[in-house]
Amino acid sequence: MLDQFILAGASEGLALGNLLFVLVAFLLLMLLLKKFAWGPVTKMMDDRAQKVANDLDTAQTQREQAEQLATARKEQLAAARQQANQIVSDAKDAGKKQGAQLIADAQADSKALKERTAAQIEQDRNEAMTLVKNDVADLSVTIAQKIIQKELNLSDQKALIDAYIDGLGESK
Amino acid sequence: MGEKTASFSIAGLTFDWPVIISVTITMAIVFFVLYWMAHKLTMKPKGKQNALEMIIDFTNGIVETSLPNQIGNNLKFYAFTLFMFIFMANQIGLILHISVDGVTFLKSPTADPLIALTLALISIGISHYLSVSQLGFKKYVKTVFLSPYPALLPINLIDQFTSYMTLGLRLFGNIFAGETVLALLWQFAKAAGLLSLVPGMLMTIVWIAFSLFIGAIQAYVFVTLTMVYTSEKLEV
Repeated sequence: MLDQFILAGASEGLALGNLLFVLVAFLLLMLLLKKFAWGPVTKMMDDRAQKVANDLDTAQTQREQAEQLATARKEQLAAARQQANQIVSDAKDAGKKQGAQLIADAQADSKALKERTAAQIEQDRNEAMTLVKNDVADLSVTIAQKIIQKELNLSDQKALIDAYIDGLGESK
Repeated sequence: MGEKTASFSIAGLTFDWPVIISVTITMAIVFFVLYWMAHKLTMKPKGKQNALEMIIDFTNGIVETSLPNQIGNNLKFYAFTLFMFIFMANQIGLILHISVDGVTFLKSPTADPLIALTLALISIGISHYLSVSQLGFKKYVKTVFLSPYPALLPINLIDQFTSYMTLGLRLFGNIFAGETVLALLWQFAKAAGLLSLVPGMLMTIVWIAFSLFIGAIQAYVFVTLTMVYTSEKLEV
């Protein structure tokens, strides 16, 4: 091989055809690779780098937005909670007040009812007493009549009537 | 060794069939492998695309170590092509070696001194061209041949010539030696029948593994040195 090199260098003026062929072939290979392998791949790599950079920027912006939103939401939440607390305490107060009102009403009602009942009872008792009194009077009169009818004779009766008439004249 | 060759002439230029066939097949393999790898690219790389991008990042890394600037960016594609071609050229002779009537038609193209030196010529040529175009001819002469002192001109001339020769011959020597040892191992393997075939095969396996490694290293060294030679010519 080395002989060939030296020999070629000496006698054949180097195998310049080989040199030329390699040069041309290498240029051709570069052209083809540029078009079919290097070009597309490096373009894809650049695109990817670009996309990653864009994505990072977008992510940054979106994170800021998200943080803003989160802050706003937090504030809203706090406001809502306060409002809810307010509503609950209001409702509690109203409930308490209403309850007290109800109890007072009930107490008043029951008191009135008690009084009315007591008055009714009193009245009923009086009526009953009156009724009983009348009955007793009737009964005693009847009993008295029965006793009197049995024991009173005509003469006695006459004397009694006279006494009564006398009484009438006196009482006038 | 006085190897036989089959050649033809066009317009006074001598062409060797082995060189033409080897170079063509090597380049075809490089092209089709890379074409296949760059086929159906996606934003999220996977499999072969990942491998291709890894190779590209690797050669880009070589360039950026010496030339971290716009000139380096322009050289990245050259470095990539050079690396792929030399790598494949170094390996193909280990995988396939075709001889007909004592003429080797398929071997490592880089095992031919002329091809290795042609590649070196392209690399060195590019480095000189870039130096002239970047610095202007006056500064180029001053930087490359008259520094640090004009008195060192002869040494600088020798330096430039030897850097070209060593760049090519280092590659040629490594690959040629690898193939020569393979040929010797083959002669050893068929020397005494089965007795030498088995150890011969074992040694061949080991040697091919080593040669694959050497081939990769030489491709890396060639590209690295190309970039170093280019960058040292650009230093004002």
